[in-house]
Amino acid sequence: MANSKKPGGLREMLESMYSVIALLFILVACVELCDAAAAVDVYRLIQYDMSGSPFGSRFAALNHHAASLHFPPGVDLSRTVLIIPLRELNITFVREYINQKNPLGGLLVLLPEVLSFKTGGNKQVHEKEKMKILLAELERLLVHSNIPYPVYFFFENDEIDTVLADIKKNDLMGQPATATTGGYKFVIPTAEPKKVASPTMTNIQGWLSGLKTDGDANQLPTIAIVASYDTFGAAPALSVGSDSNGSGIVALLEIARLFSLLYSNPKTRGRYNLLFGLTSGGPYNYNGTQKWLRSFDQRLRESIDYAICLNSIGSWDNELWIHVSKPPENAYIKQIFEGLSNVAEELDLKVGLKHKKINISNPRVAWEHEQFSRLRVTAATLSELSVTPELLESTGGLFDTRQYVNETAIVRGVKLVAESLARHIYGHQGKNIQIFADESSLAVNPAYIRSWLDVLSQTPRVAPFLSKDDPFVMALKKELAGHVDEVNVQHETLEGIFTFYDSTSARLNIYQVASVTFDLLLLLVLGFYLIVLFSFLVITTRGLDDLISLFRRPPSRKLKTA
Amino acid sequence: MTMFHFFNCAILTFGPHAVYYSATPLSEYDTLGTSVKAALVYLGTALVKLVCLATVLKVSENDGFDPYQELLKAVIGFIDVAGLYFALTQLIHRNISQNHKFQAVGLGWAFADSVLHRLAPLWVGARGLEFTWDFILQGLEANANLVLSISLAALGSLMWLRKNKPKTLIPIIYTCAGIVATMPSITSYLRRGLGWDFPKVVVFELFTSLSMAFISWQLFSACQRPS
Repeated sequence: MANSKKPGGLREMLESMYSVIALLFILVACVELCDAAAAVDVYRLIQYDMSGSPFGSRFAALNHHAASLHFPPGVDLSRTVLIIPLRELNITFVREYINQKNPLGGLLVLLPEVLSFKTGGNKQVHEKEKMKILLAELERLLVHSNIPYPVYFFFENDEIDTVLADIKKNDLMGQPATATTGGYKFVIPTAEPKKVASPTMTNIQGWLSGLKTDGDANQLPTIAIVASYDTFGAAPALSVGSDSNGSGIVALLEIARLFSLLYSNPKTRGRYNLLFGLTSGGPYNYNGTQKWLRSFDQRLRESIDYAICLNSIGSWDNELWIHVSKPPENAYIKQIFEGLSNVAEELDLKVGLKHKKINISNPRVAWEHEQFSRLRVTAATLSELSVTPELLESTGGLFDTRQYVNETAIVRGVKLVAESLARHIYGHQGKNIQIFADESSLAVNPAYIRSWLDVLSQTPRVAPFLSKDDPFVMALKKELAGHVDEVNVQHETLEGIFTFYDSTSARLNIYQVASVTFDLLLLLVLGFYLIVLFSFLVITTRGLDDLISLFRRPPSRKLKTA
Repeated sequence: MTMFHFFNCAILTFGPHAVYYSATPLSEYDTLGTSVKAALVYLGTALVKLVCLATVLKVSENDGFDPYQELLKAVIGFIDVAGLYFALTQLIHRNISQNHKFQAVGLGWAFADSVLHRLAPLWVGARGLEFTWDFILQGLEANANLVLSISLAALGSLMWLRKNKPKTLIPIIYTCAGIVATMPSITSYLRRGLGWDFPKVVVFELFTSLSMAFISWQLFSACQRPS
């Protein structure tokens, strides 16, 4: 049997082989060979309620196909994720899209790698100013809008670049990714974001006692130096706030260190107490500072001569501003201003005075000194900002990274404040004595400033997401304790008009998926292959008649009887 | 559509075995018992091989081709041949002709091989979202393996069950059997030593399996002529 069927069987075998190979080529042409799935860290836009109104991105989970900005017009994007690199971002397009409440599956903003505090490191930023302005605008738009889909930020790397190039290519060919055409699928598997229950603000205060001689019956006067350490930004997991207010914290720590050196020796201890305050709740109308001041003993509050608040002194060239709420003619204000200007002249920089009246009925507190002024304590804020910031602005956003801070500026700022403080404490006004001269044992230490600035530039510090015993807060407390006599920590709840939601970072999985048509096609091919194999085997082993007999039952019975 | 993909790959990997059984006279003579026994023998040989490999081999740090290790693996691969010998000669088969016996044994052998080596990766991997060509290639490899197993069983039955073979053909039979038995070592050398990627290796396997099948078919029919 096998011998007679040999030539026919051989031919059929070759034919089936050819058809299988041809089908393989067709399949390969349909879907390109793919890479493995990628997983990246992504950081979510903040979600908060202010006085009950929702703001920010209201969703966290994502499971859609991806498209780039080159999507064909008129395509429905409600089940697609738009991935936009920062350099192609058009603010007006995004603003219109959000304002018109167009449906979208999700928005992913791709930031340049240089802004990442984990990998960007010390690379130089090209076109600094342009990027800063663009990021500030984007942040302002996103933070003040109510966005009903997930918005995430993440950083470029090689994998993402290839994926994005692929997506753009597919979009330009007019094939946006959907379930039937294959493409890339972005999946972020997180739970629904929940409210942060009773977020805490932690204020840290350090007390350096002055020299009390036997003749002094009353309490010594106190000078307070305050800086707020928490931040707020569009992406809370990225809000490191190097300038706002990392520079202030670092300056405060350095001033504390210098004065602790002076005060350690009773012969050089001044007749003033020094109170250092690292407050939280800065972006939320300096809520923490208010609670901290309210917790003071009446006598302590009255003994405060004046307070200097430090806010963003990291990226200025030649001019600093002193913001006050009491009129400049006030004797105390004049004293403070003259003291600072004299030192400024010697250090070859300028200080200007800015006066902004406070309105008691307005809950908005734009500067930290205003909280002091509301309790009748003389205070001023030293800052590089000349314009009063709006609510939730200049609080450490996406662009406020290490590259934008200049440590020499901080060093000069520290010299300015420390010298003027020392002259006031030791009564050297008008005399040209440099206490914190360079090359002396009391010189400002740039290495100390730099190392703390580096640490701060890698720690996001949004208050609702810092727990009571957060390691960074404990580290600040420990550092301050090393310089002062006594440290106290005060925990308060962040009440008021703000409510925050958790889920600030997640992991994005990128899959390259085959379309449904591909699976159907594969099924057809395999069915055909199995049928061909079946027929081939039946023909070679049992003969062609048997194959035909499988499909025609009744005639075969007739054949048998015949 | 991931269960769909799993289903597709599963029918590519295991379908041909079922088709082979139902299409050829094997189903008429109800040789399922033989196939099942052969599958069990394969299981036993796999366990023995595993134990031998674990005692003899050492884990290599890099993924390169170590000739000594590969030689050891090839020698252990001959345990496969021993198992096949056991299945063909020692097991008691019912009254089935030699023609069908080797087919049934080869089919059971190949099915057990596919299930043991390919079912678990398929179940775990093909159901995910990410699409790779790997599982389709694995299915094609299973097909090639089926053809190779049947040809090896045919050559084995020629070597051990048939007593009156033409003298000239005996060396050819033994060399072909040797080549087929060392196929795993050859493919691993291609993949690791020469660095061929998976599709190329699968194409090579398909091609060699078909040619080996053809050669063994010729040898089988040549040996059948005198009788």
